[in-house]
Amino acid sequence: MGQLLQFTINGLMAGAIYALIAVGIVSVFKATRVVNFAHGYLIMFGAYFYFTFAVLVPQAAWAPDWLASWQPGWMMDMREGLPMFSPLAAVLDWLANVPRILLGLAGALLCNAALGLVIERTLMRPLMGQSVFAMIMLTVGLISILSGSAQLIWTSDAEFVPSLAPNTPIRFALFGQTIFLFGADLANMVIALLIFAGIVLMVRYTKSGIAIRATAEDQSTAYSMGISVPKVFSRAWVLASTTGAVAGAILATRNGISPALGLFGFSVLAIVLMGGLDSYLGVFLAAMIVGVLEALTQWQLGGEWAGIVPYVAVLVVILIRPHGLFGAKEIERI
Amino acid sequence: MITGNLKTSYGADEQVLDNRWKRLFLFSAVLGLGGIAGFGNDYIILIACQMGIMVIAVTGVNVVIGYTGLMSLGHAGFVAIGAYATVIFHNAAGGIIPDGVLTLVAIPFAVAVAALAGIVVGLPSLRVKGLYLAVATLSANFIILFLIEESFSAPWTGGMNGINTPTPNLLGWALDTRREQFILIAALAVLALLGAQNLFRTRVGRAFIAIRDRDYSAEILGISLYRTKLTSFAISAAYCGLAGALFAYFYARILPEQFELQLSLMLVAAIIVGGMGRMMGPVFGVIIIVMVPEAIKVSFGALAGGGAELAMIRAPLQEIAFGALIVGFLLFEPFGITQIMDRALRALNRWPFARG
Repeated sequence: MGQLLQFTINGLMAGAIYALIAVGIVSVFKATRVVNFAHGYLIMFGAYFYFTFAVLVPQAAWAPDWLASWQPGWMMDMREGLPMFSPLAAVLDWLANVPRILLGLAGALLCNAALGLVIERTLMRPLMGQSVFAMIMLTVGLISILSGSAQLIWTSDAEFVPSLAPNTPIRFALFGQTIFLFGADLANMVIALLIFAGIVLMVRYTKSGIAIRATAEDQSTAYSMGISVPKVFSRAWVLASTTGAVAGAILATRNGISPALGLFGFSVLAIVLMGGLDSYLGVFLAAMIVGVLEALTQWQLGGEWAGIVPYVAVLVVILIRPHGLFGAKEIERI
Repeated sequence: MITGNLKTSYGADEQVLDNRWKRLFLFSAVLGLGGIAGFGNDYIILIACQMGIMVIAVTGVNVVIGYTGLMSLGHAGFVAIGAYATVIFHNAAGGIIPDGVLTLVAIPFAVAVAALAGIVVGLPSLRVKGLYLAVATLSANFIILFLIEESFSAPWTGGMNGINTPTPNLLGWALDTRREQFILIAALAVLALLGAQNLFRTRVGRAFIAIRDRDYSAEILGISLYRTKLTSFAISAAYCGLAGALFAYFYARILPEQFELQLSLMLVAAIIVGGMGRMMGPVFGVIIIVMVPEAIKVSFGALAGGGAELAMIRAPLQEIAFGALIVGFLLFEPFGITQIMDRALRALNRWPFARG
């Protein structure tokens, strides 16, 4: 029982990150009707950008010392006489990294936004109005281009990257069971959930969000109502690539950086289809379900089995409900 | 260019190769392949074998994507099933069936197993189409590879470490050199293309095309969508199974990682580059998809003489070139090389009176 709770909570934390990645795919689909198979590779670029600005830049000779490790006088005083693994020491370690974490996040967000804009403007825009097949295959071609260029640009082996929050172990009791968590994982989950909620609220209430929804409803009507559809497209891509950058930074701190990060995108794609392509609620639920299922599979059957959970889940759901848990049924006019 | 229907008998109208240009092309292709088998050097034979195997697999993908209009990103799974079925059959039946006949039984066995797998993987196509089907087949690819790698099947498949493959033996003729294997591969590739060409003359093949053009209309015309879609998946999986069997015979060892998503994408990329729903599309597509990375490799070798630094750059460049081929063809020539060939042949035919 105690194990079950522990693994469920681990699963929920992984699910929140899935949801954060999925929101990028859903946003692009809602605005442009394109399912981005290369989203995982956008995330990988986000992770590499974070690595560049949080590790490579602070290490450079011209960078000021406080960027690599910020150590004001009062922090040195507090550090005096602390035991090795105390929570306060972990927080202080994190505080020393704050400047480069902020620089890394800012750099990753900006660079990934630029990347998203370039992809939208040069590759997706010329295909506007073409068949869905062409658009999807274009993103498939993009996979090879992105993963090849990542290997060209970042040839060095990726090192340890600073995590976004202090990585203190947290121990507490729930229903009489001791639950053991890492502070960074918890903070990642909170960040992911906040961004997810922010995007859902943005799409519901702000002007640009309403423009996205109107475009999703009917492109030509949106055009005639004075909405600039191309602008909506680029906004959706920027939204996807920036959330992807945050997700990439989180994944980089959790699993390390490697070209295999791109494969993550495919399991998230399965999750998105399972939830229903155009439903934020469905995707959120699917992400949480898959996260928990994965954690439980890992507990019961071992790590290799966890890898195919999203794929089996999406096959089962598609066979029963072809448009996902909460997806709108497509109506075809003949 | 066909300027009129000049046929005078039903027999002429029903031929597989319905004009003399096609027949001429076939004969010259067979001659050319014979020339490669006789005089090609080892490098040419190696590349030609890879192309032959790919052509068979891509023809299968063409049946399902190009002619039936069902999107699939999981055909590498069928190639894997064909390859592993061949090896497992050889290992299991090695003592029972005499060596000379074993290959002749193993290949149909692999094809049949792959076709069965095709029917199972094709089941979602009854419920979903387009994008959903693409993700369903992609999932199937991951699951098939997982089942091959997992420890419970490791005694038969060798798991992650792969397994050594047998040498084909046709009635006592052991095909133990690349050149001999090339003869088998080339013969089967030509037969496979002819078989596909024949398929779209028949009732089933025309039903595929009807489904691609409009599935509801096809259903109203009395075509059973369920049966036809599954047949399409089975036939295309059978082609991929054949390619897999040859793949197993050709390489000394097969590994699960050779059949990952990358191969599925390569198969689809080949028909995009070559031209979807055209019989010669797979051939042109495979030539480009195999030759471009080779050209990069050769030019890099010429530049540096194989320095380690440049080798680091080479693999990513090949990957980028592969992606750029897909993107470039989609943006500028969505109907692929067959379209370019059509234009060129038309211009040639009308010369000097008109161009294009």
